[in-house]
Amino acid sequence: MEQAFKRTQILTNHLLQSSPSSQTLSSNACLSYSPPELSENYAFDIKDMRKLIDRHNLEERDWLFGLMKQSKLFNPKVRGGKVFVSPDYNQSMEQQREMTLKRIEYLLEKGAFKGWLTEKGEDIEMRKFAGFEVCSIYDHSLFTKLGVHFFLWGGAIQFFGTKHHHDKWLRDTENYWIKGCFAMTELGHGSNVRGIETVTTYDSNTGEFVINTPCESAQKYWIGGAANHATHTVVFSQLHINGTNQGVHAFIVQIRDADGNISPNIRIVDCGHKIGLNGVDNGQIWFDNVRVPRENLLNSVADVSPDGKYLSSIENPDQRFAAFMAPLTVGRINIAISSVYQSKVALATSIRYALTRRAFSLKQNEPEVLLLDYPSHQRRLFPLVAKTYAMSFAANYLKMLYVKRTPQSNKTIHIVSSSFKATFTWNNMQILQECREACGGQGLKTENRVGQLKGEYDVQSTFEGDNLILMQQVSKALFAEYMAAQKRNKVFKGLGLEHMNKPCPVIPLQLTSTTLRCSQFQMDALCLRERDLLNRFVADVSKCKAKGESSEQAFMMCYELAQDLGKAFSDRAIFQTFVDAETTLPAGSLKDVLGTLRSLYALICIEDVSFLQYGYLSVDNGANVRREITKLCTELRPHALALVSSFGIPDAFLGPIAFNWIEANAWSSV
Amino acid sequence: MISRLLELFLAYEEDPNVKLVMLKGEGRAFCAGGDVVAVVHDIWAGGWRAGANFFMKEFSLNYLMATYSKPQVSILNGIVMGGGNGVSMHGRFRVATENSVFAMPETALGLFPDVGASYFLSRLPGFFGEYVGLTGARLDGAEMLACGLATHFVPSAKLPMVEVALCDADSSDPVIISSIIDQYCEKSSLKEQTVYNRLDVIDRCFSQRTVEEILSALEREVVDQRDGWISATIQTLKKASPTSLKISLRSIRVGRVQGVGACLTREYRMVCHVMRGEFSNDFFEGCRAILLDKDKNPKWEPSKLEHIADTTVDRYFSKVKDEDWEDLKLPTRSKFNLPPYVIAKL
Repeated sequence: MEQAFKRTQILTNHLLQSSPSSQTLSSNACLSYSPPELSENYAFDIKDMRKLIDRHNLEERDWLFGLMKQSKLFNPKVRGGKVFVSPDYNQSMEQQREMTLKRIEYLLEKGAFKGWLTEKGEDIEMRKFAGFEVCSIYDHSLFTKLGVHFFLWGGAIQFFGTKHHHDKWLRDTENYWIKGCFAMTELGHGSNVRGIETVTTYDSNTGEFVINTPCESAQKYWIGGAANHATHTVVFSQLHINGTNQGVHAFIVQIRDADGNISPNIRIVDCGHKIGLNGVDNGQIWFDNVRVPRENLLNSVADVSPDGKYLSSIENPDQRFAAFMAPLTVGRINIAISSVYQSKVALATSIRYALTRRAFSLKQNEPEVLLLDYPSHQRRLFPLVAKTYAMSFAANYLKMLYVKRTPQSNKTIHIVSSSFKATFTWNNMQILQECREACGGQGLKTENRVGQLKGEYDVQSTFEGDNLILMQQVSKALFAEYMAAQKRNKVFKGLGLEHMNKPCPVIPLQLTSTTLRCSQFQMDALCLRERDLLNRFVADVSKCKAKGESSEQAFMMCYELAQDLGKAFSDRAIFQTFVDAETTLPAGSLKDVLGTLRSLYALICIEDVSFLQYGYLSVDNGANVRREITKLCTELRPHALALVSSFGIPDAFLGPIAFNWIEANAWSSV
Repeated sequence: MISRLLELFLAYEEDPNVKLVMLKGEGRAFCAGGDVVAVVHDIWAGGWRAGANFFMKEFSLNYLMATYSKPQVSILNGIVMGGGNGVSMHGRFRVATENSVFAMPETALGLFPDVGASYFLSRLPGFFGEYVGLTGARLDGAEMLACGLATHFVPSAKLPMVEVALCDADSSDPVIISSIIDQYCEKSSLKEQTVYNRLDVIDRCFSQRTVEEILSALEREVVDQRDGWISATIQTLKKASPTSLKISLRSIRVGRVQGVGACLTREYRMVCHVMRGEFSNDFFEGCRAILLDKDKNPKWEPSKLEHIADTTVDRYFSKVKDEDWEDLKLPTRSKFNLPPYVIAKL
């Protein structure tokens, strides 16, 4: 009502003042907003480019975007005549959690999650990925609450459980008749899952497991969904049978009844306010000798008989643990992919802004220069666009790898997903920061999205696998591959390491522009670094072990090489997917622009300090690389709008500064 | 008429003496739409390109109106359907009266809601746009105002006064124009049976992923409540061309996240495919049954929703495979000072 009254006052003032014509604002000497659509051209069909980078389920994505845009639950706001949807981060923690749950209930009612747990096959898995990606574009809290419920809780039932678990829990989970969470992390143990301190014993008299938190460091921590809403959880615990610790196992425990009352012998406390992701109710959980039926053990890998005997088809506890944990890979994949979409939101917003925002004239009486016409601004943002395109292709490769998985490919999936998750999430934080700065003060405004995304997504570098630990695993895996290849007559197979079987690539002494843009040279350079670093790493680790150090100690001491090797592997693997995507295209402007982008991605990898440090490039050639990067950025300038429009993110999901930011902030709008 | 309107609108934009453009109809309609029969005859005589030509001009006019640098006021005192919506809904102001009757009835004809309807229908509240576009439902003036298709409701008796007041004001300022029309507005009450009171059912059903699921959802609602309106809606959908329903739904959903130019470009591709009869002859069969022979018994082919694959629907959205064919060329707007409400639509 107040708004209506205010409007009436304004209109009355208009009418009561002198003749209308003197009211019109003259456009002299005043900045006006000129939409980039009218001044920039598309050299290629952005629909084709979107199909290339989104790859699958475009209709499903657009339907979900539409569902969110059309509902008041998603906080629509009009700015400059356009509707934007984005959570209200100014709400309290409690309010944000309620809204997140309401949004989930809305999407559930509309059938967005149909078949997510009860259908099988490649189609539904791809549809899930697409749906999940769209949810992440709206809000990380929405994505995370869904992820915990469907992929962690639901995934645990699917992959750690057996038929009777599937029959009992999957449909109820899909329909949200129960709400699940995933209690693995403890106050004292995150990355080292095998070291968790929750203890479970078996009471053969009653046929029950007894789950207990023996000390404060054993309390479950950061358990998403636990503080307010979850009714059930999968608890990870050491299993002691007849005095022997059989290692980590998972048990279903009810933690709340349908009315929201916490179950007996369970204590739950809210983890408290976070720097982001406050729409997720993370909880701390204590189990005080909680009893659950024997059937609640998720027994796909091991079981306990009614009379208390431990049974497992896998003898070796290390292998048993690896088999147990393998299904968690999909969580890592989802996180890797979602980070790429945040980079897209940030880049689309900041590049569109830079296409309409001006600062400083080069000569007197000339109009000020568009931000994106400055080489320095291009240099900041276009390499990030190249990285984002590269990550898109790599993400699609990873999805296909997962969807077409076999028991033999599990190891590859584990390594590639670890590498990509670490790389993508680190890249995303870098991209978000740069885009925030590129938007200047407007980047601080929550509703402009870019700055807010930093706090929301920061957690990605440490959850679902700490990035540094993941990259260490990559380097250890590469070491193991090297050792295995030695046994196979030095033949490398898998993980794209086949280039090791060929002669060592040679970098030409003189790097001309043509050479620098040649995909063969680019691949050679990246393979050379990976090859050399792997050789050095193996040599150094072997030297340590020869001195009597254990494998673990040797790896620890060679951590610098391990880090560089992990990066080398990731860059090369990602680049390969870019090249593969480019080759599928017919000749034309789309392929040309993508080729330029591909070169830019390759050269920013090659610009990395490791190439000079380890001597793969001379100082002069290093300078040639940098010069070429600047040239490529200039060439990409005319394609800036087309490249970000191809991300396929609807206007409503970007920040208002991507559009008419003058009108969005005009007096008549506020 | 399209050519003449294009000429006039182009001329008025350059003429500094023209402050705003008012459009009204003579007789009992604002505009009942394009002469579909004439288009069909043109196609029989000159091939699909003759039809394409008409739509190209019409959609260009629609785009021009959507991005016009001066306000357009359309006086919708009567029937406004099909192409009539194309020349009014994109304008800044749409004045409904007690005589207004709105519809986009194309799915009954084997066509789809075009003229930029995928833009303006998709932006109605909730999933009302899907309902209106798929069923061809008729809306009165009050309903048009309630959902945003109309910006004002003025009783027809006061229309002459509105015209005089706008001419006297001699202004291009939308705030002033709006407040002038406001002075003659009257509160319009929705009739008791209004479909606007059924938004909860409409949202539940018309938000579904596919046409088949929309129908299933409607059928479930009928079981719960014995409701004449829902049964009638189901019947209307069952009588429409299945191909039209599928491409219309996709068009509205895609249009929801596109600018007005992209919508019209896409609709032009779709209408070319329709006229070429590449995947279905429904447009011609619909015109025959409803407009020519008037037996109201069109024989759609494919006759069942299940027989229309997603890949076929996809094809309506792709470029036409013909050497001489080009995507719709939208008139350039960059040299004009476009008002913010236009910029927001791009």
